[in-house]
Amino acid sequence: MATSGNNSINAKLVLLGDMGAGKSSLVFRFVKGQFLEFQESTIGAAFFSQTLALNDATVKFEIWDTAGQERYHSLAPMYYRGAAAAIIVYDITSTESFERAKKWVQELQKQGNPNMVTALAGNKADLEDKRKVALEAKNCGAPVQEAHTYAEENGLFFKETSAKTATNVNEIFHEIAKRLPRAQPAQHPAGVVLTDRAAEHSRTSACCT
Amino acid sequence: MTSRDRCDDEPEKGKGKKNVTDDASVSWRKRKKHFFVLSHSGKPIYSRYGAEHKLAGFTATLQAIISYVENGGDNIRFVRAGKHQVVFLVKGPIYLVCISCTEEPDDALRGQLELLHGQMLVILTKSIDRCFEKNKKFDMTPLLGGTEAVFSSLIHSFSWNPATFLHAYTCLPLAFSTRQAAGAILQDVVDSGVLFAMLMCKHKVVSLVGAQKASLHPDDMLLLSNFILSTKSFRTSESFSPICLPRYNPMAFLHAYVHYLEVDSYLVLLSINSDDFYHLKDCRIQIESVLVNSNVLGEVQKSVQDGGLHVEDVPVDSSLRSDSPSPHPGQGRAALASRIGGPAGLWHFIYRSINLDQYVSSELSSPLNSSRLQKELYRAYQKLYVSMHDRQIGPHKTQFRRDESYVLLCWITPDFELYAAFDPLADKALAIKICNRVCQWVRDLENEIFLFGGSPFSW
Repeated sequence: MATSGNNSINAKLVLLGDMGAGKSSLVFRFVKGQFLEFQESTIGAAFFSQTLALNDATVKFEIWDTAGQERYHSLAPMYYRGAAAAIIVYDITSTESFERAKKWVQELQKQGNPNMVTALAGNKADLEDKRKVALEAKNCGAPVQEAHTYAEENGLFFKETSAKTATNVNEIFHEIAKRLPRAQPAQHPAGVVLTDRAAEHSRTSACCT
Repeated sequence: MTSRDRCDDEPEKGKGKKNVTDDASVSWRKRKKHFFVLSHSGKPIYSRYGAEHKLAGFTATLQAIISYVENGGDNIRFVRAGKHQVVFLVKGPIYLVCISCTEEPDDALRGQLELLHGQMLVILTKSIDRCFEKNKKFDMTPLLGGTEAVFSSLIHSFSWNPATFLHAYTCLPLAFSTRQAAGAILQDVVDSGVLFAMLMCKHKVVSLVGAQKASLHPDDMLLLSNFILSTKSFRTSESFSPICLPRYNPMAFLHAYVHYLEVDSYLVLLSINSDDFYHLKDCRIQIESVLVNSNVLGEVQKSVQDGGLHVEDVPVDSSLRSDSPSPHPGQGRAALASRIGGPAGLWHFIYRSINLDQYVSSELSSPLNSSRLQKELYRAYQKLYVSMHDRQIGPHKTQFRRDESYVLLCWITPDFELYAAFDPLADKALAIKICNRVCQWVRDLENEIFLFGGSPFSW
């Protein structure tokens, strides 16, 4: 949950999406201003924090960059539970990753916090010539997916991003920061309380079900 | 470049290499040491070389061989075909196979397959077996996505890390008080509900504390440190990842908080609770501040720069110094050897403390300074280890072996095992004397080179 006090907001943000969609690259670009051509696979989840100053508030993001591999799927709830925001990332050159992103949207709609600010990021926007997922319906060839309408229909805030060229990366985090609910009653000062242990164990005791 | 010129044990570089070769390609066939993991229905799970999906025909053949023998009520252990050995290991629904022409003993190769299976359990736990019960044709490869480097690094370590066959771990040499200071703060966090706290420098232990009655097996430490060191994403930030320690509990995930404190020094905190991240993060902040204030991290860096034990420093009295006039034959060569290497032509040694499950190994120096010579030496030690621990004709107490490369001496007592390599012309009586000196020297230094836990570890 986002917690606030004196115009400073602590917000847990989780990145979800298929392996190789560019979650870590987006976080790296946002937190460190860097881009690695060959980003290694994330294992488990990596934790980052980054503070953004807006006109009306300071937002401290606690970012969970989750691993996209299938084996970690059953562990995802432990990262998105209690999150104030989520960025679901797909790769515009892969329809599979877009399908995977839709599944994450569904899962968050079912399991997640209903007030969560959810963004959809079509990453690798610099690879226009390899595009498989269309931005707007008008570009749409028959087999090409269309992201913008999907995002609108599902109440997601949508941007195409490129971690490589930095296009829209800061913008997407800024936009999330702006949309976070203000003046919520302060909750746990450290940011997040993960509860519901019993349910957690049933999920995490096995790698697959 | 022919494939024979390739160094087989270099970790694979670059992506995409796996997609270019299959079992029909010459370069694939020329590889000296293959590792395969397949399911009991013959589906490929992992191959060291070549793309798994292109090897389905090959793995189906391996599966057919294994099940043919199994149907006869027997188990296949190994096959020798010319200079190639094919070693099999069946782990429930998962089959592991090594095909090698490295002349390593089949027991040693089987030990490597055991570790490969253990590494798989670190990532997935043994509950993966249930997936095969539900669906015989279950495809396990997607579940191992992104772990290529973990396996190639483990296989590489079979040729440089003696922990892979000694089943013992090694410590970074440190002053007793420094290690104690690190141990005390780790003990504090363990008392706050952490299961294991480990401070490591590469694959060496700085300090290690486990909760009461919880003990960490050296093989688990090897697999855990390999998993962390071979995964670059751990270096970029704090990480929290489910991992399984197969010797501790093969069925369950633990949750590992991993954070690099320095370039090669990292802290691992293991908890049974998946919601412990913020607690473990607080523990890390506390540990880091103590380590910085007491300069433990500085001492660690210094130890890394100084290196460990050097054979040149083995203390000997003048009667044993081979550069003084000595009566034994080949003295000219021995005198020469004394300038490279230690006394009496000692080139290298490994001392394994049986009670502590730890070993200490001397630094590799001239003339063993190439990775090829190092690999050969470790393979020779491994062979020695297997022959000394042979269940049918052993165990043995001593072995002295001379060939064109070295003199190898092994000495096993209830307390320790010593493996030593000397110049091939070294004198036997002198070599035995030097081995005694080495053991005495190691005992004199034991407070600095070994970890003495506050609570006894019994495994």
